[in-house]
Order: sequence, then structure tokens, then C-alpha cells
Amino acid sequence: MSGGSGLRDAAAIAGVGYTEYSKNSGVSTLALALRAISAALDDAGLTIADVDGVACHKVGDSVQAAVVAQALGIRDLHFYLDQFGGGSASHSIVGAAAMAVATGVADCVVCWRAINARSEFRMGGTGRPPPDVLEFQYQVPYGLATPPQQFALMARAYMDRYGLVAEDFGRIAINQRANAVLNERAMMRTPLTMDDYLSSRWIVEPLRLFDCCLETDVGIAVVVTTPERARDLRQVPVTISGAVWGSGHTLISNHRGDLTMSPAVDTSRRLFALAGVGPDDIDVAELYDAFTPLVLLQIEDYGFCPKGEVAAFVADGNIALGERLPVNTHGGHLSEGYAHGLNHLAEAVSQLRGTAGPRQVEGAEVALSTGQPGYVAGNTSALVLRRAS
Amino acid sequence: MTGAATDAGAPARPVPYPDRDSAPWWAALARHELVLQRCDDCGAWRWPARVLCGRCGSLRWQWTPLSGRGTLASWIVNHHAFLPGFESPYAVVLVRLDEQDDLLLPGSFVGALEGLRTGMAVRAVFDDVRGADEPITLLAWERAPDGAAPNEGEDARGR
Repeated sequence: MSGGSGLRDAAAIAGVGYTEYSKNSGVSTLALALRAISAALDDAGLTIADVDGVACHKVGDSVQAAVVAQALGIRDLHFYLDQFGGGSASHSIVGAAAMAVATGVADCVVCWRAINARSEFRMGGTGRPPPDVLEFQYQVPYGLATPPQQFALMARAYMDRYGLVAEDFGRIAINQRANAVLNERAMMRTPLTMDDYLSSRWIVEPLRLFDCCLETDVGIAVVVTTPERARDLRQVPVTISGAVWGSGHTLISNHRGDLTMSPAVDTSRRLFALAGVGPDDIDVAELYDAFTPLVLLQIEDYGFCPKGEVAAFVADGNIALGERLPVNTHGGHLSEGYAHGLNHLAEAVSQLRGTAGPRQVEGAEVALSTGQPGYVAGNTSALVLRRAS
Repeated sequence: MTGAATDAGAPARPVPYPDRDSAPWWAALARHELVLQRCDDCGAWRWPARVLCGRCGSLRWQWTPLSGRGTLASWIVNHHAFLPGFESPYAVVLVRLDEQDDLLLPGSFVGALEGLRTGMAVRAVFDDVRGADEPITLLAWERAPDGAAPNEGEDARGR
């Protein structure tokens, strides 16, 4: 059990469910959660009577786990988790569910994110007060309050340190749009050119419109259960080979003075050791992409290329479908829709099942899916997944 | 630009909401004093305010004056009025203090936006803005003239 290896492939994702992506769901986050959970249970071949655990993450913008548990009719709940946090915490709830299942605390945990991120609670925008974060007092008075601004600060430091240029960011947006063209679920399906990218308006320098994710309404759920049980269900099981929790920058707090190095430099080593794989074993990578520079940074910090070499790695075509490391095969938050992280996990499961249709990565057996790599919120999380043999 | 909130009729800019740890920091700024907590035992500076030194674990510290000098760790130009009271374009800078490599403070910038670059030497100036109940002072930064003496607390809007 040393190093947490008792968790390796000890839990499986047996079901995945989505609501549709929209700019206005017209329904509550409770409704989104219940519809996504219902779809995930159908996908697995399970019913609400099988569920004994609930886990979600949110930032004061979504329904509580206990309310969902009651709505599901669960009388004897074995596990619950209301994780405060956005994209950085997205994968931690599934890692926690895996621990609950692997240790026998629960047998079947549903994990979800339900957000009306366009119609009700825009991140850092209208519709609610700032998140309950002490450090906001040091930022908001300067007109610094929203994710694009916070990540622009990281982006500028990263560009200047390694000589990155706008086209390097643009290639990420273009790659993901090309993948979204092949994804019927995606919100944005018109191909994007470098001219389109470069001519898009500034949001906050150095980020343009097409560097920024969409804001969408959606619910996404996954079902985590034992590998033994998953084998008898409807889908090819995908096991959770490794789960990692990590620390982070809060942008302005000390101990992490280098903005160009994310905590994934540390967490990736731990994650790959737990999963018993290395970067070369990853067939497909779904990397958290609220903003384009995060994808570049993670390609380096998860060890797919040396620090400072990502621009050439991407320009050489390595991240496209059919190439060495297909990245964000669904289009990601930039082009599929913004589900705060769990859509990356859902896509990874689809790729490992072999059901991704025209965007399928041939023979995909091992996938990396990541949460936001540790900026702003002060934490991060990620998973390695494997197609069960 | 940092004085925009004091113009008659301008929408109110958000003001800080100090907590019980940070109140001394804001009170010092209002006196035009730039201070940070420094550990009595290991000498490490820390930020934001908290009671324990994350380097050595000590609970003893002093609010200690800073030189007010640093370099730009990063900077952004906002082309969107993200909050009331700000007119775009406006800059936000993140300053790495000369005292310690891992001290990064956000603030506004006084001067031409065209001059911004990472690594640029800057010095602190005090920006008095009108609060809801009492005067509030924010931190602004300006380009440090080559070889200039540390700033002695001039007002950002006085220039």
C-alpha cells in the first residue's frame, strides 16, 4: 500500500451521463444534476436503488450533495462529499469516490458537476458576490476579480520566460476546434483559422477571445463502483489507475514564486508512480483548458516534453488526432463546452471504451485527465485511467 | 487612472473588506506605511497576513517596513470593464518584492501602459481612494527611475 498503490485499478467508472450543453438550460442545477446522474446510471445499466454515495464540487453555485442524495431516494447514504472548488478540484471528487469504493466504505458513488455557468452564475461575473476566498480582498480593489485576468497574469509570465508568442496559444485553440468539429455534442463546430484567432478581440492582454473557454450550462455525472461489479455491467469498464491531489499557487501568496511552473511538476510524478505508468504510456490526454496557455503548461509539467520546448512540440503537430499525444479530443472547454473539468474525464472514458466515433484515438488504453493545474485556487487534482483488460 | 474612483459621479470602485488577520495591513497602508509580517525566529517574510510562519512554524512576528521596491513578475492590460469603477484599458501588475523572491503583490500601475514589461523595476506609491465609511489606501506601482532612492510615500494622484 506504500505510496497509495492500493488505489491502483481498485475502482472503475461504469457509467457516464450528460445533459445537453446550452447557454440557458432553463432549469435548476438540481435538475441538471439529477438528469446527468440518471443518464449515467442508464449508461451503466444501474438504477437509483444501486447508489450509496454522492460527490460533487462547486463554488457556491450549485445544489448540495445531500439534497441530491435525498432526491435520489437514498435512505442509507454511505459516502458524501461537497467539495468546495472549481476546475482545480474537479478530478478530486472522483479520486475520493475511488478511495471510498476501494476501501469498502461505499459500493456505488455518483460524482457530478452541475452548473448554469452562462445563465445563472458566471465565473467572477454577475449574479453572485465574489467567492468566499480571503485573498480576494487583495485583488478585487485593483479591478482584478475574474479567471481570465488571473490566468492572464500566469500567461504573461510564462510567455516572457520562454519566449512564447500568440501563435503558440492559437495552435491550442485551433487544434481543439478541429476536434470539436468531429464531436456532435460540442457547442463550437466551425473550423478556426490562425487568422480568426489572431483577429479575435482582446479580453485581457495577453488573452484574446479564443484563448478563453466558453461559458455554458450543463450537468455531467460519472458512476464509480468496484471493478468486479463494473465487469458485469453494460459498458467496458475503465479503471482509475491513479488519482492525485496537489497544492497550488494562489497567485499572490508566497512559497511558490515561479508562476511559470505549476504544481503538476510534483503531482504528475506522484500520479504516474501510483498508476505504474509514465508520460510515454499515455495514449490520450484531456488537459484542463479554461485558457489556452494552461494546455501548453501542462504538456510540459506532466512531462510530455521538456520545459521550454512545448511551442515546438505543438507546432510539430504532436497534439493532433492520430499523432503522438492527442490532446482534448472533445474540443475541451474552449470548444465543446465548459463543465469545469468533468467533461474531460467523460471524454477520456469514451476514448478508452472505444466509443468516440470519428475522433476515436485508435487503440487507446491509458488516458490522463486533469483538473486545473493549481493556479488561483491553491490546489489541483488529476486521474490516470485505463481500459480494463 | 488609479484615481478614477474619486472623480465626482464615477461609479464606486470595490473596496477591500479586511479580515481579522489583514486589518493591520490595511491600517498601515492608510497611514502610507508599507509593511509585511516578518518572522521573529527565522526572518522569513510572509504574505498575505496569517499568524504562523509557513517556513519554521513560529507564531511570533512583527509588522516590518519594506523598501517599497520590486520588479514586475507579471502584468495584464484589461480590455473589458470587469468591475464597476474601472475604465478599460487598465493595467494590473504583480510585483515581486526585492525583499524575498516569493512575495508577489498585486496592484495598479501609474504611468504609460506601453512601458510595461516583465522584470521592470518598480516602486510603490500610495493611492488614496474614497471608501464607504472612511478613507482607504490602495497600493499602486510606478516605474522606478534608474538609481532612484526608495520612495518616501508620495501620493499616487499627486503627480
